[in-house]
Amino acid sequence: MKDMLKIILLSLILSFISCKKDKKTGVSEPTPSPVTYGKLNIEFENVIDTVALQFGTNYINQNADTFKVSALQYYISNIIVTNTDNTQFVEPNSYHLIDHSIPLSSVVSLVNVPLGSYKSISFVLGVDSTRNASGAQTGDLNPANGMYWPWIGYIMFKLEGTSLKVPVNNNHAFAYHIGGYSGTLKAQRSFTFNFASTTANVSTSITPEIHLQTNVLEVFKTPTIIDLGTTYDVTSVNNRSKTIADNYADMIRFKHVHNY
Amino acid sequence: MYKKFATYFCVVFLMIGCKVDPKINAPLPSNNLVEVIPQGWPQPNYTFSVNTINQDKFILGRALFYETMLSADNTISCGSCHQQVVAFAHANHAISHGINNLVGTRNAPALFNLTWQKAFMHDGGINNIEVQPLAPIQNTVEMADNINNVLAKLQASTKYKDLFNKAYGSETVDSQKMLRAMAQFMGLMYSYNSKYDLYKRGENNVQLSDAELRGYNLFIAKCNSCHTEPLFTDYVYRNNGTAINPFVNDSGRAKVTGLAQDKYKFKTPTLRNIALTKPYMHDGSLQTLNDCLNHYTNPITNTTNLDPQLLPNGILMTSNEKQDIIAFLNTLTDYKLIEDKRFADPNFK
Repeated sequence: MKDMLKIILLSLILSFISCKKDKKTGVSEPTPSPVTYGKLNIEFENVIDTVALQFGTNYINQNADTFKVSALQYYISNIIVTNTDNTQFVEPNSYHLIDHSIPLSSVVSLVNVPLGSYKSISFVLGVDSTRNASGAQTGDLNPANGMYWPWIGYIMFKLEGTSLKVPVNNNHAFAYHIGGYSGTLKAQRSFTFNFASTTANVSTSITPEIHLQTNVLEVFKTPTIIDLGTTYDVTSVNNRSKTIADNYADMIRFKHVHNY
Repeated sequence: MYKKFATYFCVVFLMIGCKVDPKINAPLPSNNLVEVIPQGWPQPNYTFSVNTINQDKFILGRALFYETMLSADNTISCGSCHQQVVAFAHANHAISHGINNLVGTRNAPALFNLTWQKAFMHDGGINNIEVQPLAPIQNTVEMADNINNVLAKLQASTKYKDLFNKAYGSETVDSQKMLRAMAQFMGLMYSYNSKYDLYKRGENNVQLSDAELRGYNLFIAKCNSCHTEPLFTDYVYRNNGTAINPFVNDSGRAKVTGLAQDKYKFKTPTLRNIALTKPYMHDGSLQTLNDCLNHYTNPITNTTNLDPQLLPNGILMTSNEKQDIIAFLNTLTDYKLIEDKRFADPNFK
């Protein structure tokens, strides 16, 4: 029995020795470095002009068509925040599906952000062409999320709803599934916002929140006013999908930064 | 007894103490499942760098390829329309029939050397072999299912829990694991052992007959500009003058790009194994190789975007030349591929 204990003890010691990290002798343990990373949240609030979007509520677009929304989903990718010293934090693997039916998805949390004051943010609405052609993905890019066309790639932006303006033979339903990841019809749109006089101050105690608004009404206007009576089924890549993409290019706007 | 026990204990501790190299737990790669780049071929477009080849993933991929649960009513598998005996094309079907005998609009292409393809489908609408299966699974006239439902069916199956566990070390089914296993199975379907290949490599003293050699020279002069060696395709989209079926009016590549200049264009198909894969053309409208060659010598209807190489008079070939070209095309049949047991339906043992 004693022998066995000895052997066990020996094995424990051996196991430690065998895994000893390769340390240079004579170098003293460095003092623990202070925490240099924090978090930064970005909220995408989906709105109709200024009020929070609600499914099933009647709204009126620029063409004076009354409509209801039943689904709103879009990808936000390639988020970069710029420090006041002009260094940048580029979020790795930066792909986020904002889904209005899942409230938690509206807040994107950047982690391991170097402490400091950030003055601007940029990102892409949509998924870049590289990732569109990189095979089977997981997480927010999982094709099982319903935002992937086997034929075309990711649906960058999806808006569905109903309007009496849409012909009855289409059940008054409209669907904008906007995709196309390369060429002149591509659906990605870039956004950059400077925070003007404020900064987002990432510290050990504060996770600032950059508050953005996504205004659904913009999908129906500027530069092109959309008539739901004629434009209700945009679910392939063509000039009509490009028109919608051009319209949503100014859909997101900067509201403010919370530093608390 | 105690000593023995203690020795085991010691070994176990040693193993726990160090982080186990994940490679130790992975199944050993099988010697006969390796990426192949035949001599003189270009680098493939898809490598298995992320989707590391191993036998258990391959076996899972094969089970999925021949799995009818991938269709809504559990009747259709990939193998239904991609049959090994005809180089994974659909034997004698111009257009395949999917669920409830619904029919599509295009001819099921043969499957091999897929890792060199830059895009899949006749119109190149699929950009990566891993996501290719999503298209037939969700096509309402093919398998008519949806990926979430398929995943649920697989997850509920003891067989697939076991196969996923062997391949990935977890019974959890997800789309990436499923699709990568299928990509592995399909990506390893190589065809590079036809008579032509053996001749080119100088293996086994294989010689081409006089007719085959004449056909080869004619092929180089008249066909190779699009059906380019060694893959026998340049993967470019073209309108080759196939009559446009007014009931389908398939706009081809333009469906993907939305561009008028791509209307009626389809990807140049490979001519490897062409003797096996009738009927021909993207719509399966031509029955024999002779019909295909006649298509290029008959007056071609000048439809929108007709390939300029076919103007003004198509391709000039005498009937003797056609017979020689067909003799050459017959040397492109790879019996090794169609007889390779690794790719056979495991349900028929």
